[in-house]
Amino acid sequence: MAAQGAQPVAPLTSSQPRGGGRRLGGFIGKYGFILPTVGVILALSIYPLIYSLTLAFCSWQLTRIGGGRTFVGLANFIALMSDGRFWFSLKTTLIFVVVSVGVQYVIGLVMALILASEIRGRKFLRVLLLIPMMLTPVAIGYMWRMILNSTRGPANHFLTLVGLKPLEWLTSSDIALPSIILVDIWQWTPFFIVTLLAGIQSLPQDPYEAATIDGATGWQLFWYVTFPMLLPVSVTVIFLRAIEAFKVFDKIFVLTGGGPGMATESSTFYIYTLAFRHFNLGYASAAAYILLILIVFASTVLLNRIRRQMDVT
Amino acid sequence: MRRGLVLSVFFALTIVLAFSLPFGASGSTKKFQGVQLTLAGESGLTINPMKWHRGEWGEMTGANINIVEHPFASLFEKIMTSFVTGTAAYDIIVYPSAWSGDIMGGGYVLPLTKYLKDNPDWDDILPLYRERIAAWGNTVYAFPLDGDSHMLYYRKDLIENPKYKADFKKKYGYDLQPPKTWKMYKDIAEFFTGWDWDGDGKPNYGVVESMARGGQSYWWFFSHSAAYVAIPGQVSLFFDPDNMKPLINSPGHVQGLQDYVDMVKYGPPGMLNYQVGDVRSEYPLGTAALAIDWGDVGTMANDPKLSKVVGKVGYLPLPGSTRVWNRKTGKWEDFPEINYAPYIAFGGWVASITKTCKNPDAAYDFLRYLNSPAVSLKDVTTGGSGFNPYRKSHFEAVQRWREFGFPNPEEYLQAIRFTIEHPNAQLDLRIPGAAEYFEVLDLNLSRALSKEVTPKQALDAVYQEWEKITNKLGREKQLRYYRESLGLPPK
Repeated sequence: MAAQGAQPVAPLTSSQPRGGGRRLGGFIGKYGFILPTVGVILALSIYPLIYSLTLAFCSWQLTRIGGGRTFVGLANFIALMSDGRFWFSLKTTLIFVVVSVGVQYVIGLVMALILASEIRGRKFLRVLLLIPMMLTPVAIGYMWRMILNSTRGPANHFLTLVGLKPLEWLTSSDIALPSIILVDIWQWTPFFIVTLLAGIQSLPQDPYEAATIDGATGWQLFWYVTFPMLLPVSVTVIFLRAIEAFKVFDKIFVLTGGGPGMATESSTFYIYTLAFRHFNLGYASAAAYILLILIVFASTVLLNRIRRQMDVT
Repeated sequence: MRRGLVLSVFFALTIVLAFSLPFGASGSTKKFQGVQLTLAGESGLTINPMKWHRGEWGEMTGANINIVEHPFASLFEKIMTSFVTGTAAYDIIVYPSAWSGDIMGGGYVLPLTKYLKDNPDWDDILPLYRERIAAWGNTVYAFPLDGDSHMLYYRKDLIENPKYKADFKKKYGYDLQPPKTWKMYKDIAEFFTGWDWDGDGKPNYGVVESMARGGQSYWWFFSHSAAYVAIPGQVSLFFDPDNMKPLINSPGHVQGLQDYVDMVKYGPPGMLNYQVGDVRSEYPLGTAALAIDWGDVGTMANDPKLSKVVGKVGYLPLPGSTRVWNRKTGKWEDFPEINYAPYIAFGGWVASITKTCKNPDAAYDFLRYLNSPAVSLKDVTTGGSGFNPYRKSHFEAVQRWREFGFPNPEEYLQAIRFTIEHPNAQLDLRIPGAAEYFEVLDLNLSRALSKEVTPKQALDAVYQEWEKITNKLGREKQLRYYRESLGLPPK
């Protein structure tokens, strides 16, 4: 029937405007939808990335009058190799990332396991725990600056109430970094709780039933069933948080300004200082790219290692 | 056809006239009708006077000012980026005078010489601001809007308390009195630390000073050290004006830093993390006997809404020293009189017209209005402007200060004027790269204050870093700018 009603289709040639129009329309339709997105990505992501990369090979200091921008090749990268402050800030960042994300994961997992079980007030607790994550980092910084204030802050007030000595939370070189880690843990542990809880709730029940029939204890259920099955979610959430933690800036800016001394100066804070206090834009870009390369390298190694571990499991 | 054409032309002309006449008529009544200016300034207190006065000036002139606010941390970057990239984003910029080297020295703003000939109010501005802070070399590029300088605050009720006087004399062997030297400042700070001297059941402290990294600690440091290094007639604060070698690790500066570090134990716990705002909130609450700040603590301590010490605060210029390091002889010298070297920390806010401004006459008119004796008096005596006095007439309008709530404005104004007019007053560093020099200093001060390194080690490290910065920016150029900032001829 269809063949009977169908008109013979003429071959498409350039002299036939209708066919050409359709093809043009198809072209416009296809690329017309994609191009705005591509344009936005090019303008907002790719262009700044390429621009900052070219800047990394230039010397451009806003405070050098009449200096302008000059190509210096790898000079910025070479200078960074012997910049003690950069490497010290990187060490501080690594300590921050490892301790902060590590503790967040452990607490997050424990809390997720608790919330996954049938306890009273579970829904209320879930909402309550989400609040820190929703606050802006600068607001959190100022709030904790007040809480940790040595003379007027409630933290020291509480310590003295229970008979402990007040602490120099933000002014002691030994305690300032742990204090910032504490604030980060307070803010971001809910992220682990929510994500891991969702992961736990989506796990299949069959392995648990089989293990229970085999007489597995609660710990064995967790260690041999829950934990391995939760590993993909765990890796993802640790990976996302670690990348975020590498970029820590706002809390440090508000709480300690990188001090006392260099005790809390993270890599991003140092790069900010290079760019917006020293106005050394080329050098700051080079430092930012080294940080990017190190993060990508560390992430790749970590991911490969965990993937291998998962395959073995 | 021809009739149609004539009618069309007539109709078009009527429309053009109908629309243009009203605007033309009103434009002739106001001198800058329709002019649009863009002003960049700091989002904070100091932008307030511009907001307060743009409307009234706009009504008089017909012009409009669009104010663009940037946080202090990004203000320099925004201004310099607009200059370097040539975007001509701003017509007027309001900025700290410490950036003069970059902005005036960089040639990004208009000289005001031709305008100032017709400004009879200009000579009312105190010479320090008129001739040095607003100028680069010998050319004026800016209107001063703010008379910033550090000063000392002390609690009169404590100093005059007979029991405290007796106890102090017993301990230190001399009379308790407002501190005139850094030695006295330290003794008083020590004496009033760690006990409840105001009877509120809580321990009190000797001093409150800003010490946090990023909290402008370098200005407090130079306030401590200037009197130890600045011999009248000798340039001794930042660099040797002959070769641009840093003077920052001289024994005088080391002594100043040692004094500053000593203050940590005479302040409230956590003072190492105090910023300017903490000094201004703690001192009016009666936490400490002494404080160093700009004129702002003075206004806040007399505001009953903010202060528990209204009427109890005394004002003095920064203390001095009888022992001064002479960099030329390389020896400490004992002075028969106290050597004062009041530090004009920060130097205050100034306003300039950019070279890319399309209506410099209108911009000048606005700045002249803002800077005029009557308008500026309102600003410097009003809380929330962030501006301090800088005109002779500001210091003479004592009644206006009393109306604001100062119980003893003469003493307050005298302390500021002593500082500003002192022949050995020390200006802030104003050369290109000043922010970078100070950032490195800030970091090392923080290391010394937290006892990570000794004052000598900290300042030796600063010396090395300052040398690197000078070499990077070009020693010859920096030397030229430094000499220009001091008003010295080129070498």
